Amino acid sequence: MAEHVILFTGPMGAGKTTAIQSLSEIEVVRTEANNSERHIVDKETTTVALDYGEILVDRDEKVRLYGIPGQQRFNFMWTILKKRAKGMILLVNSDAPDPIGEMTFFLDEFRELYDRGGVVIGITRADVVAGPTLAQFAEALERTNPGLLIPVFTVDPRERDQMVNVLLSLIANIEMRAMFGMITEAESA
Amino acid sequence: MTIDGNYVAPEPAPQPGSFPVSIGWTQAAIAISSVMVLKTPMNLKMNIEMHGPLLIDFERHAFSWSTPLDHFPVDAVHTGLETIPGGAGAPPLFELPGTDLDGLLWQIGLNSFDGAPAFWLSPGERYRLTRWPNLTQHSHDMSQVKMIAVLGNAYVSTQELAGYTGVAVTDAQRLVNALSLMRILARSAEAPAAVVAPETAAAKKQSLFSRLRTRLGRADG
Repeated sequence: MAEHVILFTGPMGAGKTTAIQSLSEIEVVRTEANNSERHIVDKETTTVALDYGEILVDRDEKVRLYGIPGQQRFNFMWTILKKRAKGMILLVNSDAPDPIGEMTFFLDEFRELYDRGGVVIGITRADVVAGPTLAQFAEALERTNPGLLIPVFTVDPRERDQMVNVLLSLIANIEMRAMFGMITEAESA
Repeated sequence: MTIDGNYVAPEPAPQPGSFPVSIGWTQAAIAISSVMVLKTPMNLKMNIEMHGPLLIDFERHAFSWSTPLDHFPVDAVHTGLETIPGGAGAPPLFELPGTDLDGLLWQIGLNSFDGAPAFWLSPGERYRLTRWPNLTQHSHDMSQVKMIAVLGNAYVSTQELAGYTGVAVTDAQRLVNALSLMRILARSAEAPAAVVAPETAAAKKQSLFSRLRTRLGRADG
């Protein structure tokens, strides 16, 4: 069975679980616990170990969708999951206290996924609050990671159509990066 | 009029704001590009038959139009074009914040010049993205995603872009025109042809992108 692992990363409350639910063809496996950081994000539960969904490409091939826990105290899971992944969808909620800082932090943490595959950044809740513009996210990316041309989209993780656009853009980008020899490992996604 | 019968009717005086009626979006694209290049505080008002005025505020990178972009009229009849001074102290053209201008530029760029190079582009150039367009907000097909991914990773000419992605040169040109109008495309006459990595066994198989887009019902383009 050929497998392609895509990670969904980003801070708590960015919409990772919802995004996987929008894409997955199976009931999403969710592992949650009480949120101990309600002063940061006001939701009752949060992902502890991982979320898991999948898309069957054909009988012998599937795309596995893993959502990481957003809280740093669970970062042992980050190490485990990023070893297997080929690409990353980094979701950042526009109404976070420091959305650009969150983007930079998670990109640094998972930088190896850019180097050996590809990354797409999705800005969620951009229609809810007037946070940084896409141009400001792009400027911050260029400032902190010069030369990295990472797609940055606004996205509503509840909208399957938008999530399909994000996922296909990621896959297309990984394949083109492989075609032009920009990936550090030989295999493409 | 004279009384000796040698009367010659004078040329009609130009009417203020007279404008040659045009069909399609090429004239609009030229006007927009010209204003953006000037970088002066100037805005545009376009009168479009059956679709009301289209107002563009370049400083705020926004527009206002009664026609939603998912009903973009490809063969719009333009009956007027007016420049309006902007800048500090000028009243806003429309109720702010308006709509992000990128979506309009995307549509105008794709639907102007009839698949020929935009007039501001030069022969012999190669192109590369400086920023991805916000694809969740622009109507697009999968061949455009593939082309954008190529442009994000290498300097390519329009012909090379078409070759790498298996699309018609005119379709590649329309995309280049659009991204260029959006000012997210770097141009270079010196950039060498991109080097393609040796094809891996995995890549020789039909790409995951192709299989997945079919699986997800996006087999267009």
